[in-house]
Amino acid sequence: MSHSVLICDDAIFMRTMVADILSQAGFDVVGEAETGMQAVEKYKQLRPDLVTMDIVMPDMGGIDAVREITKFDPDAKILMCSAMGQQALVVEAIQAGAKDFVVKPFQPSRVLEAVQRVLG
Amino acid sequence: MDVTKYAELFLTESREHLSAINDALLTLERADDPGDAVSALFRAVHTLKGMSATLGYTAVASLAHEMESLLDRVRRGEHSVTPETVDVLLAGADALESSVERAVAGESSETDVAPVIERLRAVAGPAAAPAPVAPAAKRFPIPAGPGILVRVRQAPETDMPGVRAFLLLQHAKGVGTVLAVSPSVETLQAATAPQEFAFRIKTDATPDAVAAHMRRAADVAAVAVGDEQIAPAKPVVDEKPGAPAKASRSVRVDVTRLDGLMNLVGELVIARGRLAQLAGRAELAALDEAVGQTGRLIGDLQNEIVAARLVPVSQVFDRFPRLVRDASRAIGKDVDFRIEGKDIELDRSLLEELGDPLVHLLRNAIDHGIEAPDGRAAAGKPARGRLTLSATRDRSAVLVRVEDDGRGVDRERVRVQAVAQGIVDASKPELSDEELLRVIARPGFSTADRVTDLSGRGVGIDAVTTRVRQLGGTVQLTTAPGEGTTWTLRLPLTLAIVRALLAKVAHETYALPLTHVIETLDLTPGARQTIRGQEVIVLRGDVLPLLRLRALVDLPHEEVPLPQVAIIARGDRRAGVMVDELIGQQEIVVKQFEPVRDALPLFSGATILADGAPALIVDVGSLL
Repeated sequence: MSHSVLICDDAIFMRTMVADILSQAGFDVVGEAETGMQAVEKYKQLRPDLVTMDIVMPDMGGIDAVREITKFDPDAKILMCSAMGQQALVVEAIQAGAKDFVVKPFQPSRVLEAVQRVLG
Repeated sequence: MDVTKYAELFLTESREHLSAINDALLTLERADDPGDAVSALFRAVHTLKGMSATLGYTAVASLAHEMESLLDRVRRGEHSVTPETVDVLLAGADALESSVERAVAGESSETDVAPVIERLRAVAGPAAAPAPVAPAAKRFPIPAGPGILVRVRQAPETDMPGVRAFLLLQHAKGVGTVLAVSPSVETLQAATAPQEFAFRIKTDATPDAVAAHMRRAADVAAVAVGDEQIAPAKPVVDEKPGAPAKASRSVRVDVTRLDGLMNLVGELVIARGRLAQLAGRAELAALDEAVGQTGRLIGDLQNEIVAARLVPVSQVFDRFPRLVRDASRAIGKDVDFRIEGKDIELDRSLLEELGDPLVHLLRNAIDHGIEAPDGRAAAGKPARGRLTLSATRDRSAVLVRVEDDGRGVDRERVRVQAVAQGIVDASKPELSDEELLRVIARPGFSTADRVTDLSGRGVGIDAVTTRVRQLGGTVQLTTAPGEGTTWTLRLPLTLAIVRALLAKVAHETYALPLTHVIETLDLTPGARQTIRGQEVIVLRGDVLPLLRLRALVDLPHEEVPLPQVAIIARGDRRAGVMVDELIGQQEIVVKQFEPVRDALPLFSGATILADGAPALIVDVGSLL
């Protein structure tokens, strides 16, 4: 069975791209979220195998969303999607419970490797 | 990666972010607490940076990066917002916009963004803390003490090596307890280049198992355990062949295609009418049913195509905040500009046509409506004038309003001028809003003020009203001295298909758009009277002028036994239009036409009727 994925990013462009990369690799993109709040809500609804999480999003940022999600499900598998220059934030996200990270600009192969690592 | 399939999406989304950036900058300029605006700005610039870097648009990305750095300093309170800051950020936004367009067009704009980047750097000043220098990779003490010594070298292509090193240590904790790390965890985390580091781990696992565990982690080039020396770096091959492309979620359609579709569906609507007529005559139940079903499908198709042509008014409205800012600054006025109802949708071609009239109304409000700060103070108003542009939906129409809290139109001045130009009778004591609009909308009408300020631009209220009427809309003016002026433009959602009342005069058919028709009636002999040589109709006690369409289109006078009347209205003004016979309502497809020279200025277009005959569309608004 293919793994289900929830994609969280405020840019449609980024969501589309990540969705394309993952669905081409056989993942099942079950939902998308534009804000941290939505990410938390959709996680609870969809219980996906994997979450990709942007850091900078309106209303609730990605790091707080990671905290909320792991509070709800300590086993949640969350992959951070970060831009360059956000080292400190990525570390914070990992301390909050994220499992791994990829750095924009995305290379499909690196995204897939990271996803495989997170899913273990 | 195949960039082209994302370019359109990138462009559309970038434009949204650019307009958010412009909005936020204008807010930033006047906000007491810039926090929200700065966060919004930072987010938009940051997103743009990520997207453009992903597509390899380096000029856009590096410009966005510089803006982001400055904004980050503002956000941290290391840099305060001055007019200079806003100016340089606005310049950045402009450069970003052109750079985005050029990047998508496949052109480089590195040289264009370079000066703006210089300016941004100059304003930001030297960075608060110099970027941490990557520690010399090999010079670190080997940690002493108990546990297995593990040495790790990161792969050269490692992203965020500091974070990755942190994750590697976390990963190590999967097999045991990490006892000592060298260089220190803090140094490792701050690293900006791939590095080598060592740690000691207390574990039950064998050294080989520890090494195997560490090799499974990401971006690890080499691992050594115990006294082993680390293996020399090997070149790493990454990049897998690209997977086949998948269709994107939206497609771009040339607007001429959409126009073509709209025309075709218009013809189809007409053919439907004709088909229904013929089927009615044939009296075949099965045929009727099939025609009825086809008719509904055509209706659905028409709705879909109309919807596909709708675009949010923000596409035009979003360029106004900048215009208002620049125009008001240029003449030293302080204007608080608001936009409401950005999401309201209008037909694309209609919206495009609306740009110029709106620019004119906004400029007018800034130049003449809103007073200079000292004038406002003298009038007991807040120094900052308010100007609001709003769109609201009203059934099948959209209302666009331009509203200011300025001094209002000087009724008396207009009246005096109008009397002097012979437009208004001198005995008239005061002009109503309706009359005021009719006077100032006359081509060439001007008061002294207008000559000095606006005549050079060659546009006036007459251009605004004419344009809006051509679009099938109406203009309304309300103004109160000292309180302000409101212009209301009422527009159809789409201009290609309108409902019209068909009327017959002699053997010709004319179409009266229903926008202006409020009711129809048979003209009984008693309802018609003549007052001071003008024919009028008495409607429930009100006396309305009666216009004969026959006379308007220059046909010879002829009395018909029972003429019919369409009552038309525009604002408070009403009139009756007398025709030989009213045929009924129908949807018509408006075809614009270039009138021949000296043609009656009475028609706004033409249409083809269900039976294939042409009919002229009467510009009802112009009759009032």
